[in-house]
Amino acid sequence: MKKRFLKPTEDPLWFRLFLGAVAIAFIAILLLLPLALVFKEAFANGIGAFWTAIKEPDTLASVRLSLIAAGIAVPLNMVFGIAAAWCITKYDFPGKTFLVTLIDLPFSVSPVVAGLIYVLVFGAQGWFGRSLADNNIHILFAVPGIVLATIFVTFPFVARELIPLMADQGRDEEEAAATLGATGFQTFLRVTLPNIKWGLLYGVLLCNARALGEFGAVSVVSGHIRGVTNTMPLHVQLLYDNYDYPGAFTVAALLAMLALLTLALKSLLEWRYADELAAAHRH
Amino acid sequence: MSAIGLKLFPLRSRHVLPGFRLSLGFTLFYLTSLVLIPLLALVIRPMELGPSGFWAAISTPRVLASLRLSFGMALAAAVIDSFFGVIIAWVLVRYRFPGKGFLDAVIDLPFALPTAVAGIALSTLYAPNGWIGSVLAEYGIRVAYTPYGVLVAMVFISLPFTVRTVQPVMAELGLEVEEAAATLGATRLQTLARVVLPMLWPAVLTGMAMAFARAAGEYGSIIFIAGNIPAVSEIAPLLIITKLEQYDYAGAAAIGVVMLAASFVMLLALNGLQSWAAKRR
Amino acid sequence: MSLTVDSVAKKFGRFPALNGASFVAPQGGFVSLLGPSGSGKTTLLRILGGLEFADSGSVRFADLNWLDMPARTRNAGFVFQQYALFKHMTVADNIAFGLKVRPRNRRPSSADIHKRVTELLDLVQLSGLEARYPSQLSGGQRQRVALARALAIEPRMLLLDEPFGALDAKVRKELRTDLRRIHDHAGVTTVFVTHDQEEAFAVADLVAVMKDGRIEQYGAPADVRRNPKTAFVSEFLSA
Repeated sequence: MKKRFLKPTEDPLWFRLFLGAVAIAFIAILLLLPLALVFKEAFANGIGAFWTAIKEPDTLASVRLSLIAAGIAVPLNMVFGIAAAWCITKYDFPGKTFLVTLIDLPFSVSPVVAGLIYVLVFGAQGWFGRSLADNNIHILFAVPGIVLATIFVTFPFVARELIPLMADQGRDEEEAAATLGATGFQTFLRVTLPNIKWGLLYGVLLCNARALGEFGAVSVVSGHIRGVTNTMPLHVQLLYDNYDYPGAFTVAALLAMLALLTLALKSLLEWRYADELAAAHRH
Repeated sequence: MSAIGLKLFPLRSRHVLPGFRLSLGFTLFYLTSLVLIPLLALVIRPMELGPSGFWAAISTPRVLASLRLSFGMALAAAVIDSFFGVIIAWVLVRYRFPGKGFLDAVIDLPFALPTAVAGIALSTLYAPNGWIGSVLAEYGIRVAYTPYGVLVAMVFISLPFTVRTVQPVMAELGLEVEEAAATLGATRLQTLARVVLPMLWPAVLTGMAMAFARAAGEYGSIIFIAGNIPAVSEIAPLLIITKLEQYDYAGAAAIGVVMLAASFVMLLALNGLQSWAAKRR
Repeated sequence: MSLTVDSVAKKFGRFPALNGASFVAPQGGFVSLLGPSGSGKTTLLRILGGLEFADSGSVRFADLNWLDMPARTRNAGFVFQQYALFKHMTVADNIAFGLKVRPRNRRPSSADIHKRVTELLDLVQLSGLEARYPSQLSGGQRQRVALARALAIEPRMLLLDEPFGALDAKVRKELRTDLRRIHDHAGVTTVFVTHDQEEAFAVADLVAVMKDGRIEQYGAPADVRRNPKTAFVSEFLSA
């Protein structure tokens, strides 16, 4: 008996081809073309020129600064994420919803507003502006400000990954450990951590990607001092505004490669550890 | 100590697992110093203008134009992305073809790519002499340095939100309702229109809201392609920065408050949507 | 106008779900496909409903080459184990669905549709629940809606896939009795899949005991129980 018509849940062939073509075309034009352009421009004059551009002192300085900002923000936010997820999922107390909303806040706030709030606190006309200036402490237009802004925009990532995951996993194992005499830290290290390690890694991955790539918030607090307070994304802007397109796209390509690496690792983690990562309503 | 105080913070911990005070304390300290206090500064600062001063600060033609541009284009981008997002999600969930995994991963590119990189790439791409810009120029369409550039950047940046909210819902739908509709005599088109799409509606709206929220506040990927002409193609975040550079802290904070308020409204709307969707399940 | 199933076979990949199943049922008969999981009973039912395609074999019903027709045109009401109700529609809209999607020339008027929905709700004893949503109903109520929905299209064949599987014993008994009553009233040829032999024997005129994609024995419940033809059948029935 030959199948001469479609199953009730299948779309007709012409429909599938049409929809598929639309989807692929949209993705290719909107997403892939810009990516291709970045690499084309970066390597337009060959790999030699690419390397030379990277080894520019100001570029290297921006890479260093980005790494410093991420290097401080990510571990701090990881600790915060663990602490927040622990206290939200392992205990019951009033105000939990408010706490979770607060944690979600940087996601819904414009990055520029994120930078703005620190200017309002530490800026020359900000709350602490006077006392900071009197003591010659520089927060804004210096590394500390950049680190602060980076911390703000990236701190939800680890928490948001861990909270649903740990909520899903429940409290049974930790309670068992408690009855067996383990301290809080022991329980966390030996019981909780192994259960959440992939979710934690995933959160740290996203946190790191955002930390290195953040632009708006850092732009507000940075001061854009060439070679001193420019992270990589800011340096891209500086080079681009000065018409140094090969240079700008070189740094951009570096960041794009990082993004692709992040995507690859993300896919790998999702594929292999789907169960251990927070289910369904992620992304 | 009052009875309420005892209930909230009992002398002896009423929690089974140790570490409550440490974890909660650290969490609250972090959040307070990092989020609450700076946000407080944002809300308090415009108050020095007084109500009429605040209103004057945000109702100048330039500010209004920037808000209209940011929110208006964000809405348009959200609608466009929702439309294509449903199509893309359907193709990814229902069809099989080589390279699908790659395509699926690529959707997250705007999420992972630094906004400045996206910004200069889009700007170069849609400039009059760029790959796409030159093609469009032949039809008299200018994208870069116009409000349309803002739209394109927003469509780019928000696409993952619309696809990723609808995708899991589509996957969970299961085929049985479609089979049921077919046994009841519905054509494929009727099944898609009357059964499948209505079930996706809450997820589509949620994705649209998230896309809107993201696009409205977006900065890095837009400023290179936008043109940034005051009252024409200047987005609200850029205006905030401009005011900061002019040391008009209060004015910048005023716009910031408006954007923050909009974010809160969106958050509330999103939560409302989630509960509405949950009730129908 | 009997239902003649002849040597229907189906493989999923390399797994033979159906190995040539055959039976004949009279018009208006009530057949139960009974067997353990993996016996092919659900596959056979889905083939009858047009939700799967047979690799070989034939089915004749109402003088039609049944397998040559798409599900949409067979007018075979299908009741799923997990109800498959349209969650975004009210009970009334669910039941009316099959009538509303008909092409204009065969579509009843709104008034007629409304009347029919009310009648059906009466029939399945859910009067007054028109405006409820599936999420507001109990499991037993949802299955009644599913049944009413399938009956709304005046099917010439009624197919039920372990419809009471997700319900508790008391509700199952009630629904079982109601199903038989509705069948007798409507006179529609019914095929009912279950793994519960008590259920099959209580409700069906003819029972097909299945194993590994084949029908081991087919006949009236009393006959099958008294004269099991194979070791499997006697074991399965005594379990």
